[in-house]
Amino acid sequence: MKIIEINQLTKYYGKHRGIEGVSFSVEEGEIFGFIGPNGAGKSTTIRTLLSLIYPTSGSATIFGKDCIQFGDEIRKDIGYLPSEVFYYENMKVIDVLKYSASFYENVDMSRIEKLSKAMDLDLNKKIEDLSYGNKKKVGIVQGLLHEPKLIILDEPTSGLDPLMQQKFFDLILEENKKGATILFSSHILSEVQKLCTRVAIIKEGKIVKVENINEMRNNTYKRIIIESASEGISAKFNFEGITNLTSTEDGIQFLYKGNINEIIKVLYTLELKNIIIEEPTLEEIFMHYYLKEA
Amino acid sequence: MNILKQELKMGRKSLMVWGVSLVGTLGLFMAMYLVIRDQVADFQKVFEAFPPEFRKALGITTTNLGEVLGYFSFAFLYVLLAGSVQAMNLGVSVLSAEVRDKTGDFLYVKPVKRSKVITMKMLAVFIQIIIMNVVMIASSYIIIKLVSDQSFVFKNFLAMAGTLFMLQTFFAFLGLAVSVFLRRIRTVLPISMGVVFMFYIIYLLNQTLDDAKLAWLSPFGYFDLSYVSEHFAYQGKFVVAWFVLNAVFIFFTYKIFSKKDLPSI
Repeated sequence: MKIIEINQLTKYYGKHRGIEGVSFSVEEGEIFGFIGPNGAGKSTTIRTLLSLIYPTSGSATIFGKDCIQFGDEIRKDIGYLPSEVFYYENMKVIDVLKYSASFYENVDMSRIEKLSKAMDLDLNKKIEDLSYGNKKKVGIVQGLLHEPKLIILDEPTSGLDPLMQQKFFDLILEENKKGATILFSSHILSEVQKLCTRVAIIKEGKIVKVENINEMRNNTYKRIIIESASEGISAKFNFEGITNLTSTEDGIQFLYKGNINEIIKVLYTLELKNIIIEEPTLEEIFMHYYLKEA
Repeated sequence: MNILKQELKMGRKSLMVWGVSLVGTLGLFMAMYLVIRDQVADFQKVFEAFPPEFRKALGITTTNLGEVLGYFSFAFLYVLLAGSVQAMNLGVSVLSAEVRDKTGDFLYVKPVKRSKVITMKMLAVFIQIIIMNVVMIASSYIIIKLVSDQSFVFKNFLAMAGTLFMLQTFFAFLGLAVSVFLRRIRTVLPISMGVVFMFYIIYLLNQTLDDAKLAWLSPFGYFDLSYVSEHFAYQGKFVVAWFVLNAVFIFFTYKIFSKKDLPSI
């Protein structure tokens, strides 16, 4: 079953482009990554799904219901963590969380305790006395406390230290195991790589590609770095499948896609000092998509 | 109901401050009555020496300052002005605060309809105005009794003190309607002060010009204290205008805010 289905969603802020014809869908139980640089339209898409803003054209359904028309009904089962969190400054953490819980039916209040303990959050402090990272923790707890079926995370890790990020990922994975679907927006590819099964790449308001994370890496490139004293080696690597060839101080490096034996044949003829063959990072793949489209 | 409770809780402190200040202001003005009371004739003479326009502006045209209700209508004008600013503050900030304090991403992703949030917030403003008016009527009554042992008709007193409620509701709903038109409101007080004083100046202007058309422009004219202190009632046509305008403000608030984009942080 499709949990989120977005169909030709377009949003203009006056004359400014927000997103244009965005379409993708998220299956039940999946952790779906949504990546793109700042200003590409990730937040615009998410804010439309939550009916914080209204689309110029196109539509989206969540749990099979139109996200504008049935917004209030749908939001019963959504947990949302915005990239920057703000709460009523004068309230205590526990009061904000109780206020948040009061909007949902049958909330298990012991979850407040449990989640705050997991995130190491002091419930009796006032919001205004919290650091940015601690406010973020309040956001995490209030986003998860009603056991939502769909969790929407908009650049959730900013402000969290690596230890907390790990705890947060564990919480998310735990919810996912219990059946929650997750839409994870980020511009940091390594965290998407760590969690997600599929990703949508967005650029300048348009979806560039929706791809399986594994395929994305398998079907693509190897980075090869060669250190050699031999002269004129770059000329030898002038065949199909090689891209981004650059000369370095000690040798050359390039991306390769194709039969690896072709490379070995050439390497055999060289006097090597060192060779590194590695998986390209998602960043590099990502840049590749971006350059190709540009 | 949780939104209503939350709103009232957040407004409690400011409501108390406004309540204490307005009661204090009225108390100070009415305390002067103790001095004036014994020299009414002299004061009346001084006031009569003022140009009639000026007297009108001060709300002392037809009033007899010797009577405690007459003096009250003069003092109450300042409460009306401040109370209007307070009400407009409430109206302007109740919806815009979520945008200004960036808490909209918290509230509006909850499973409630926008229209319900508006209703609850409007109700919270209305309840605060009612509390304010109950407090003001009760304390006005007590203050009048303290400074004078003259007897007066309670209904007449109520008609005068009731102008606060009429003006406060008007400015609160106007404030709401103004707030949904503006994209992001950084500070509330300049807007409410500006609008209230603009209407007050229009009213003052019309006291001198006495233009029947201009009278429709300012709510201060609708519930003119010198008229009320003379007739102990409001003018029917203006009460109708008050109803219609409030309805228009409420309509626009719902209509626009229900489909308004919340600016991202």
